[in-house]
Amino acid sequence: MTDRREVLSLIAGVAVGAMLAPVSVLAADRKILQVYTDGDTNVTDFFANTVLPAFEAAFPDLTFKLTLTRGVANENVTIAERTLAALQTKTDPKADYFEELEPRSVKGGLEAGLFAKLTPANVPNLAMANPASADLDVRLPYRGSQVLIAYDGAKIPTDKAPRTFADLVAWVKANPGRFIYGRPDKGGSGHNFVVRALHEANGRDPSLFRRDNFEPAKAEAAFQKAWVLLREIHPYTYGNGAYPAGNTPTLQLLAQGAVDMISAWSDQALQALKSEVLPATVKLLQFSDLALCGGFAYSAIPANATHLDGALKLANFMMSKEMQTAVVREIGGFPGVTWESLDPALRKEYIDIIPVSIPTFPDGDWSKALNAGWYKNVATNLSQ
Amino acid sequence: VAVAPLIVGPLALLVVFALIPIGLTLVETLTSETGAFPSVSRYAAFFADGYSRANLLYTIVQTLVSTLTVLTASLIIALQLRFGRGRVSAVIQGLALFPLFVPGIIVAYALIRFLGPNGSLQILLEHVGLTGWFRSPYLTPTGPFLGFVWENLPLPVLILTAGLAQVSGHGVEAARDLGAGIGRILVEIILPQVQRSLLIAFSLTFLSIFGAYTVPYLLGPAAPEMMGVFMQRTYSNLGEPVAAEVQAVLSFLICAVVAAFYVHALTQEQGATEASG
Repeated sequence: MTDRREVLSLIAGVAVGAMLAPVSVLAADRKILQVYTDGDTNVTDFFANTVLPAFEAAFPDLTFKLTLTRGVANENVTIAERTLAALQTKTDPKADYFEELEPRSVKGGLEAGLFAKLTPANVPNLAMANPASADLDVRLPYRGSQVLIAYDGAKIPTDKAPRTFADLVAWVKANPGRFIYGRPDKGGSGHNFVVRALHEANGRDPSLFRRDNFEPAKAEAAFQKAWVLLREIHPYTYGNGAYPAGNTPTLQLLAQGAVDMISAWSDQALQALKSEVLPATVKLLQFSDLALCGGFAYSAIPANATHLDGALKLANFMMSKEMQTAVVREIGGFPGVTWESLDPALRKEYIDIIPVSIPTFPDGDWSKALNAGWYKNVATNLSQ
Repeated sequence: VAVAPLIVGPLALLVVFALIPIGLTLVETLTSETGAFPSVSRYAAFFADGYSRANLLYTIVQTLVSTLTVLTASLIIALQLRFGRGRVSAVIQGLALFPLFVPGIIVAYALIRFLGPNGSLQILLEHVGLTGWFRSPYLTPTGPFLGFVWENLPLPVLILTAGLAQVSGHGVEAARDLGAGIGRILVEIILPQVQRSLLIAFSLTFLSIFGAYTVPYLLGPAAPEMMGVFMQRTYSNLGEPVAAEVQAVLSFLICAVVAAFYVHALTQEQGATEASG
């Protein structure tokens, strides 16, 4: 069987090679890594336009094919589940690298040893990683971002902009229709705003919500207080609660001047400012009492990757000074390595977005229940 | 008779990829959380939840209002095409069929840019002095309504134009000679003859709008949700595939009623053709 398949793939390889030959002789010699991403356009563009050419230049024998899984089934998790099935049946997973994947969200994946351990031994640049990102040794923290408040400085003087969540609630009520956040299940900018309301209503203590302590009754009690707070601003939001379906539609409302203030991802807001999608008058701020949530985006590599060596090289390349600087410059993210390991001039330039702390909120049960509850208790105009 | 062996292929596809999955889904939704079968507990849970009921009701109302608007508009256009003359009709026909070639997602984004807050329409209105009263339909039920009307216009226009082609000009002229007004001609001469076409156009438009996803997802409010959007969220964000299946079966049942009209209209037509042939 195996022989036959090899022969077939050889024939296929020769056929593909023959088709590619006139275009590029070199391309046929490269091993093709299968990279999956479910990131937003900023991330997928970054991989296609910046990472790919730089990677091919650095490794003449390697390249990668980027497959976008955004919005399809359960995105990268679905591909990881297929990879797990391939591990169990010892077949080719046709996957080498997940641009972003939380290994814990693949049921049974960690137990089955689906993911390759990533340490400075096989990914040398991991030695520079930000200690805040260390948690699980099968994840590669290659970029980070945080949700913050973006507002139009032309309409709101900097000294009048809300610096705490309570200030924001007061501002929203005083300026009906001028603030909006996105639906929490459709993007992190809306989700982490809802999470911040949950934190606000429960003593601003993010440590209350951990991956291992979800209990429906306890969650319900904590959520109720957040719903009261969010219902309070609901009638004063844009269009009496016309919550947009994602990070980008929310940014668009600010860009069109339909609202003056939104919650947004730091990287998306910075990139929109850079490309002038957002007017230059837009300013960014982080709450001083407790920051909005953020975190690192983790890549993962299946232990049964078709080209494990190549995938590890890509991982190390992503953590290199060159690519980490590109993460900051190109997509407005913050680096997965410590700021100290990058150029001091860069650090000075971005001092406003370098976070002091990065609160997090567990995905899985907590997030699912929070998103589901928001639809029933906040978004709907049904009588309560 | 010669076609009979060939039908095996499509039939097998239908059985394997449609009928068997539908059967499995039905069994799953009729199995309770504790494994009892048959049990309607999952359906009871759907109807016990006010939010789910509101979504179902909203979907039905949104679909009916949009469908009837589409039918009215396309009937007017089809009448113009049938009885109108000259270049105007040709232009109208082109415009009416144009949406057929535009993908739904493009329509949605175009409408966001055009009808959205501070979009083209609002700017135009403000330029002619109409300020203050414009409220963008984006992210309200009016958003998907406009999207549906735009997107679903061509097919009923084609169906009704074909139906009206069979209405004889003599009958209309005779009625006009006897002094009947436009309204009377429409109700008593034309509509009875295009009843079947209307029923077919109604069914197809209803089915297409009821199951829509892109337009209500991009243009509609966060809540209430249309069933397509609700199902997708229940399935992938909430991770409750069986609850999503219950929503799918309920949507399917409503669509089946409308589909029955369609089948009825089709068989009626065939019967009529055979009788006259």
